[in-house]
Amino acid sequence: MTVQELLQKADKVVDATGLSCPMPVVRAKKAIDALSSGQILVVQATDRGSLKDIPAWAKQAGHELMETHEADGTFVYVIRKR
Amino acid sequence: MVQETKPVPTIPIDELVKRMHGDEDVFILDVRNADDYAGWKIEGERVRSVNIPYFDFLDDDESVFARLPKDKEIHVVCAKGGSSAYVTELLTARGYRAVSVEGGMEAWSQSLHPVVVHEDDKLKVIQFNRLGKGCLSYFIVSEGEALVVDALRRVDFYEDFARQNGWTIRHVVDTHIHADHISGGRRLADRVGAPYFVSSHDIFTHQGALRFEPLEQHKTLRVGAVDVDVIVIPTPGHTPGSTSLLVDNRFFLSGDTVFVSGLGRPDLGGKVSEWAQDLYDTVSNKLKALSDDVIVLPAHYSHHTEINARGVVGARLGDLRRINELLREIDRKAFTAAVEASASTERPPNFEKIIAINVGKLTVAPEEEIELEIGPNRCAVHHATA
Repeated sequence: MTVQELLQKADKVVDATGLSCPMPVVRAKKAIDALSSGQILVVQATDRGSLKDIPAWAKQAGHELMETHEADGTFVYVIRKR
Repeated sequence: MVQETKPVPTIPIDELVKRMHGDEDVFILDVRNADDYAGWKIEGERVRSVNIPYFDFLDDDESVFARLPKDKEIHVVCAKGGSSAYVTELLTARGYRAVSVEGGMEAWSQSLHPVVVHEDDKLKVIQFNRLGKGCLSYFIVSEGEALVVDALRRVDFYEDFARQNGWTIRHVVDTHIHADHISGGRRLADRVGAPYFVSSHDIFTHQGALRFEPLEQHKTLRVGAVDVDVIVIPTPGHTPGSTSLLVDNRFFLSGDTVFVSGLGRPDLGGKVSEWAQDLYDTVSNKLKALSDDVIVLPAHYSHHTEINARGVVGARLGDLRRINELLREIDRKAFTAAVEASASTERPPNFEKIIAINVGKLTVAPEEEIELEIGPNRCAVHHATA
């Protein structure tokens, strides 16, 4: 699936590219709080720390990390709110 | 939301280490994810640490904050210092005494701490402890001349240290080609105009492309004008070219051959059986000749309990013989079986790339060097019977 296709599925997109830890997770958390159960959040980030922290946060919060995509140094995470 | 105008209280790594060597407990809140914490963390006799990932603090959940002491200073650490500053701010706002550890685990991994092992009129032995990785390097000093052993990649540190003390670095030696960290040996030698010694066996095993002085061709390296001789003893096992240095018949710089907690693992070359035989020969022939009173000073340690009350990682050979059966009379078969059984599939992170750098086949940017070295050391064979 391309990034464009992933973005189309999103109910909300957080662009955290260029931001370093902890901001990608902080922004994702704030955005997902505003969604309803089952809705899709897509997070874009360039911080390598997000590769471990986004899955760890999603797991801890009970959200489903449906997909992780990497292209040209940008990580795209597709998360379904619990 | 958190305001970004007020400066967050921080503490440099060196100050944290001073506190860790003090008389009071040091409370550390590690805000990395649970896997990273389980794999590698700040440890010490006086360290009390708790792992709460930074994202657990985002919900303003009282039960999370309730796990932290109000009466102690909280040292907050993360990977690079960003999340720890964030959490420190949240804690400070709630009335906790918190400080963010500058540079996080990346800085911890790089920091070096000198400890004097021995000092008399003619000889000074200094051990540099890289606490974050369990790597040890050494200065052997006599009459203003120094021999540096197993220098780490921060060569400016050794250069400054020598300059501040008015010492001239005459020789730079690596006991073997390291697999777990990037050596500063070649670079330090270049900067101070000294020869760089390492065993040709290790260089040739990896088809290295480095300028070096074959260590095995020197029986003695002289430091200073007095009779401090460094005797080169080939001690194959951990790597085929592993070499130990016996300084003034008193200090045995064992590289990764003998540790305070056991022996060097012979399995990193993928030839565990063959190298275990070498290790046996080294232990039963070469080490046997050394007195019980010789102090073993290794290149690594794997747990903070190996640091003694004086802050030194080292032990009398006699004491090590008493606690480790592999160093006593033991037959070849039992020895190699025990060593092979403890061979681990867990390799130092990125070890192939690190070896390539250390033998001069690969050059990477400084940021990548730091990245490659992150994580714990995994070079020791722990006692099979412990």
